[in-house]
Amino acid sequence: MCAELLPELITADPWGYPIVTPGPVPGSLLPLARRAVAACPTLALLLSDEE
Amino acid sequence: MTALTAALQAGRVPPAAIVVTSSTPLWYLTRATGLVALVLLTLSMAFGLLSSVRYQRPAWPRFVTAGLHRNTTLLAVAFTVLHVITTAADSFVSIPVQDAVIPFISSYRPLWLGLGAVAFDLMLALAITSLLRTRMSYRSWRLVHWTSYLCWPVAVLHGLGTGSDASVRWVLGLTVACVALIAALIAWRLAYGWPENAGARLAAALALILALIAGGAWLAAGPLQPGWARRAGTPVHLTTGSGTPRPAITADGAP
Amino acid sequence: MSAAEAISSAGTGGRALPPPGLPRLIPAGAPLSLNDHVARYGPVPFRDGGSRGARDLIAEVERAGLTGRGGAGFPTGRKMRTVAEHGRRGGPLRGQVGTVVVANGAESEPASAKDRLLLTRAPHLVLDGIALAAEAVGATRSYLSVHDGQDELALQLAAMVSERDRYDQNRVPVQVVAVRRGYVASQETALISQLNGGAPKPTFVPPRPFKKGAHGRPTLVQNVETLAHLALIARFGAGWFRALGAGAGAAAGSALVTLGGAVSRPGVYEIALGMPIGDLIRRSGGPSEPPQAILAGGYFGGWLPYGQALGIPISDAALRAAGASLGPGVLILLPESACGLAETAWIAGYLAGQSAGQCGPCVNGLPALADMMARLAFGRPDGRALGWAQQLMTLVTRRGACHLPDGTAAFAGSALRIFEDELRRHAAAGPCDRVRRRPVLPAPGHSWGPR
Repeated sequence: MCAELLPELITADPWGYPIVTPGPVPGSLLPLARRAVAACPTLALLLSDEE
Repeated sequence: MTALTAALQAGRVPPAAIVVTSSTPLWYLTRATGLVALVLLTLSMAFGLLSSVRYQRPAWPRFVTAGLHRNTTLLAVAFTVLHVITTAADSFVSIPVQDAVIPFISSYRPLWLGLGAVAFDLMLALAITSLLRTRMSYRSWRLVHWTSYLCWPVAVLHGLGTGSDASVRWVLGLTVACVALIAALIAWRLAYGWPENAGARLAAALALILALIAGGAWLAAGPLQPGWARRAGTPVHLTTGSGTPRPAITADGAP
Repeated sequence: MSAAEAISSAGTGGRALPPPGLPRLIPAGAPLSLNDHVARYGPVPFRDGGSRGARDLIAEVERAGLTGRGGAGFPTGRKMRTVAEHGRRGGPLRGQVGTVVVANGAESEPASAKDRLLLTRAPHLVLDGIALAAEAVGATRSYLSVHDGQDELALQLAAMVSERDRYDQNRVPVQVVAVRRGYVASQETALISQLNGGAPKPTFVPPRPFKKGAHGRPTLVQNVETLAHLALIARFGAGWFRALGAGAGAAAGSALVTLGGAVSRPGVYEIALGMPIGDLIRRSGGPSEPPQAILAGGYFGGWLPYGQALGIPISDAALRAAGASLGPGVLILLPESACGLAETAWIAGYLAGQSAGQCGPCVNGLPALADMMARLAFGRPDGRALGWAQQLMTLVTRRGACHLPDGTAAFAGSALRIFEDELRRHAAAGPCDRVRRRPVLPAPGHSWGPR
């Protein structure tokens, strides 16, 4: 589902789990990223503030 | 005892011609919001079940189901709150707000109203835990979410047991349609392969069938039979001499 | 000299002599009683123990270039410094908070035996290391982990801890704990999870252990061998430590290596890092059968063709450049009589079974990868199976809470590269006879058999 919400950064593997493009989330995609994290049925995604 | 009731008892006013009391608008609102809440809760449950079978089409991504599930639930909660408020505000029957959250303490149809309180409490728990999902453990959230399988049927029973409109054809039809929809979706979920244990699936399927049969039997013998209001626990002073509740009629007295 | 006498004489400047060469960790006459240990090495050089203890241990460890001997090879000094810093500013209102030291002796790499050896033959060095690390990072308690079922060892270690308490050689409480067996159960975060009363499964970072680990405190987790080296560095200095080893970076000092497979004298050897593999094999009496390849780094490591391997220095950097790694110091010699593909498939199956079951890509991907490897080894490999195996390796890498998927993928990938000829032979003529041979690589609890 997260791959549907954020196709720019997430694709789904054969088992439905997210493959995330490495690197920081561009500012314009941040609200969508937050939504994708909240929407994951198993909370498999994490948005973190790395310094 | 009002003059109207006295006249009724004396047989001078046919029951079917009872004029609306000043609280009728609230009475209509209570029934209306209750019905709408039930439909919304049914839709919410339906979208939840659709989610569990991972339904997906090119024009219907999974996040649409998720979003609709979320929105219908919030609307259902809103309408249930309205339903509680109109019920409490209605001075014709004394049902204070606490009767809506603490089950079975009401003096009006304690069992059936109490079921409404149970359903309402569960709805609040479901909604709040889901809003706080990212802040709680996944396991706990999932455990609470399971109670939705209890919440919805209890709400249906509350509607049939407390509501005075069970015998009205379109209301009955609507309720039956809701039950049919959810039963069909549950069957789909079982067929989809959950729970994994085949024995558990079979048991769940049997439980579903038994519940439908039992529900139908109860409906036929209970709310659909005359005299249900009294048997359900409506305080005597609210029923007419014949034991029927305030009829569901329009202002000019036509049935 | 009794322990008490040795300890009191240290204050008068009596200095123990540093071991001139090898062995450093496990001297002759091991295991030493506490008396003999103190007589040989001197008491634990705590900071308040006179001029010898006044050094900044963390700086000394950084100068020595000591890296973790548990497999990850992280610079120990840097780890200690981070934990100490978080201890200084981690408490409520940003004050001091007591940190925790965890000595990991629960060796889960099936082919590795060095930690077990160290704990039975040089336990006091490990316990010295715990005490010194605890002082350096401001710890208020420490743990020493052994495996479930090693009851006798645990009791012996606990008795030694009590004895040391009598002579003030511990300073912080040392609790010997038994942890579950399992490849991922002694991973850093899984270990901490068990100490916190949780499941023996790796936890999702953040927060990382150096920030919030055991009981919510900054935690230093180190392999027991690393702590043993630390105990010697504290006494004899960084210069002494670096006198052995091939020089800069992770090739400093000595290390314990478990040599197994088809060698004449398999066992644990202490070597100077940077020693060529061929020299070690010669020292162990040479191969016991005609050799084919060497697995370097354990099951997260990689295969090396025998001839090419002989000249490679034993250090993480050199081994990684060659397509393998050092890991927890495991080298296994594969004889000609075995089939590299079959051995790899068999271990891939073992590793897939060791999954903690937490992460979708691992739970789904590793068994699929093991299946593919089995098909390549025991069936008729075709381009499709090979392609799918390679795709699976990419799909699982770095997608779990721990390195089980990455390690397994790297291991399988190196097999497909090194045993390419074997793969071609299998594709042409089906599995060779050697797949039916008893496995060389150990896999506890895993059942053998071509599919």
